[in-house]
Amino acid sequence: MSARILLAAALLAPAAARADWTEHLALSGFAQSDLRFDVEDYRGPVAGKGYAFSANRTDVGLLLQMEPAAGLSAIVDGRLRYRGFVEADRLVQTTERDLVDPFSMQLDRAFLAVKGKPWKWLDLRIGRMVQTWGTADMFSPVDILSARDLSDPLDYTRKVPNQMIQADAYPASWLSLSAVFIPVFKPSQLPPSAGLAFAMERDPRGCLAAAPAPPLGRADAQRLAALFASTDPCALDFEDPQVRLVLPDNGIADAQAALRAKLKLGDLDLGLTYYYGRFSFPVAYTAVAKTAPSDDPARTRVQYVAEVVYPRMQVAGLDFSYSAEWLWDVGVTGEVAAIFPEEVDFALRAYVGDQKVFGATSVNVPSTPFLKATLGLEYTFASWLAANAMYVHGFFDEFADAYGLHDYVLVVPRMSFLDDSLKLQISAILDLTDLSKQENPELVWVPVPGAELSAGGWWFAGSTRPKDPIDYGSREKFGQKAAGRSVAYLRAKVTW
Amino acid sequence: MIRITAALIAVLTAAPARAEPAKPSAAEILDRMDAANNAFTDQTMEIALTVQDVDGSKKTYEFTLLQKGDTKRLIHFTSGEIKGMATLVEDRNSVYVYLPGFKKVRRVTANTMSQGFAGSDLSNDDMAITRWGRGWEPRLDREDETSVWLVLTPKADEKSEYAKVVHRVDKVRFQQMETHYYNRSGELVKKLEATEPKEFAGGVRRNMHIVVTDARTGHRTVLDTKSFKFNQGLEDDLFTVRQLQWGK
Repeated sequence: MSARILLAAALLAPAAARADWTEHLALSGFAQSDLRFDVEDYRGPVAGKGYAFSANRTDVGLLLQMEPAAGLSAIVDGRLRYRGFVEADRLVQTTERDLVDPFSMQLDRAFLAVKGKPWKWLDLRIGRMVQTWGTADMFSPVDILSARDLSDPLDYTRKVPNQMIQADAYPASWLSLSAVFIPVFKPSQLPPSAGLAFAMERDPRGCLAAAPAPPLGRADAQRLAALFASTDPCALDFEDPQVRLVLPDNGIADAQAALRAKLKLGDLDLGLTYYYGRFSFPVAYTAVAKTAPSDDPARTRVQYVAEVVYPRMQVAGLDFSYSAEWLWDVGVTGEVAAIFPEEVDFALRAYVGDQKVFGATSVNVPSTPFLKATLGLEYTFASWLAANAMYVHGFFDEFADAYGLHDYVLVVPRMSFLDDSLKLQISAILDLTDLSKQENPELVWVPVPGAELSAGGWWFAGSTRPKDPIDYGSREKFGQKAAGRSVAYLRAKVTW
Repeated sequence: MIRITAALIAVLTAAPARAEPAKPSAAEILDRMDAANNAFTDQTMEIALTVQDVDGSKKTYEFTLLQKGDTKRLIHFTSGEIKGMATLVEDRNSVYVYLPGFKKVRRVTANTMSQGFAGSDLSNDDMAITRWGRGWEPRLDREDETSVWLVLTPKADEKSEYAKVVHRVDKVRFQQMETHYYNRSGELVKKLEATEPKEFAGGVRRNMHIVVTDARTGHRTVLDTKSFKFNQGLEDDLFTVRQLQWGK
């Protein structure tokens, strides 16, 4: 009898434990299908090749939230991505499923959060996560702790997750303090089109038509151009540059640290931030062009190796959001970041064989502090119509290098119809510095709660050619090929 | 959404029955209605909101609402494409929203609060009010066997899109049973009706079903309370930005 009781207890115990455990679990997620079509044929790597599907993707995301005890929370947030294009190029590879239907796993977040320990006013968070600071969306100059994930330009809010330790203190109801330590630097993930920033332009005959201008002074740039001008462009086999990363070491001095104070002062929310770390987008550092033997004695093979670096910087930031009746209840957000960069010198050398034929250096990033800023307005005109407008000084990928900081105006009217089942949003951003622009009209239909069907366009307007071929800073922001191709898209998403 | 929560609190909640022999004034009736609406130290509700279009089509969103006192509220959306979003109301001028897509907490402007929610018939100006006596002047209109009808007009410093509001108040429990909203042209634009009363412990009675109808189009919003708990001792710390973003 006792053996039976023990057996029953042993069998029942796990079930009881499981029941308790599942009460502290929450599982949610989504499935999303993306189909995109390039709607032009000149902005990609090869002119004339376009009007084709450029995305055929399925994502399945799962978010697991666990609260095994009061004040203890764990998050696991990942996604499975099926890329949708065959990556096999040999017959034998078609026997492998992951080449015929390639996929990847991404773990966006996995962290532990503890509340009120060891002191009541302190929260701790440790693990893989992303940080979002500042009051402005997207164009936030103080939101620099987590690198951007621009692997999908349309999913522009994503960030590269990283291991972090975060402490949040709440000494008063109007004040909170945060400290974040990030041991290892991770750069931003760039869009697939990013490599075109360094690509050589060739004419239909395959002759060199243009090379990207390096960040040199005008006199040196002209000298370099003259060097190539004396050579028959059709006799040059100019390889696309190999661009190498100069990543920081993993020492303590290369870690990132940030502090933030948030104050609530009546209608004003104010944030003060300090960041020590690195700019997460690459800055040109060195370049070496060298001729190499060619199979064809009438032609010259040119190898081009460049390096990019992620400059160290300190950033002091201020951000606010404000709304008051005297201001007609318009929501105002603003951010200013004072950036103190380390100097980055750029050096370029050219060799014919072992003989140096050109050499120049320039200061690509001076150590002079500079500002990035955002000012935004938000207003609801009617229950079906709202709009945001924003002025931006310095895009999130811009630094005070030879390209410089541009000024932008962003306008986003949003309309909703049919009980919010149909939403139209038109996002348009204009670069005031070079007058290139980018537009993103999108129509979203919610046929039933939890399901969204979206159709839209992601269009660039501007010249792919720089106004001045020897000026590094004359590339148009949204015109250059590195910005990516204009696409039309269709997306279906189910959230549960 | 803020308005929805306030409306729910204001209309669904009722205090234990108290019969009064003397005939109270309009101001006293309004005070008692406000008291009945805010009779709990805290409350937790699971609510289903169904928007019904005139063609018969429906859509439903679910959310959990926690409230302490008559101002602090925390709302977690538990279904639909907005699942994971949470809203904290510290007071009418201090509203924060957690946006799961951005992994961030944003302060909501008063202007943005005036947006409707998920196509419902509830607007901020309807729902931000939990105590009508603060900004509205009552006048006794009429009474019948079960109810008293109060006509309310906004006080000078009250901002409202309505020129007049009429409440039908239960004579015995001072529950808010109906509210009619009139625009500046004197036109009835919206009607709110609370039904399906349910008894809870301690003599608490609660209307579990609310229908808000657009009087001009027939468009309807139905609020069904799936569960209701009250006086649980919810801590103040629950209604903070700290809680809104913790563990997310």
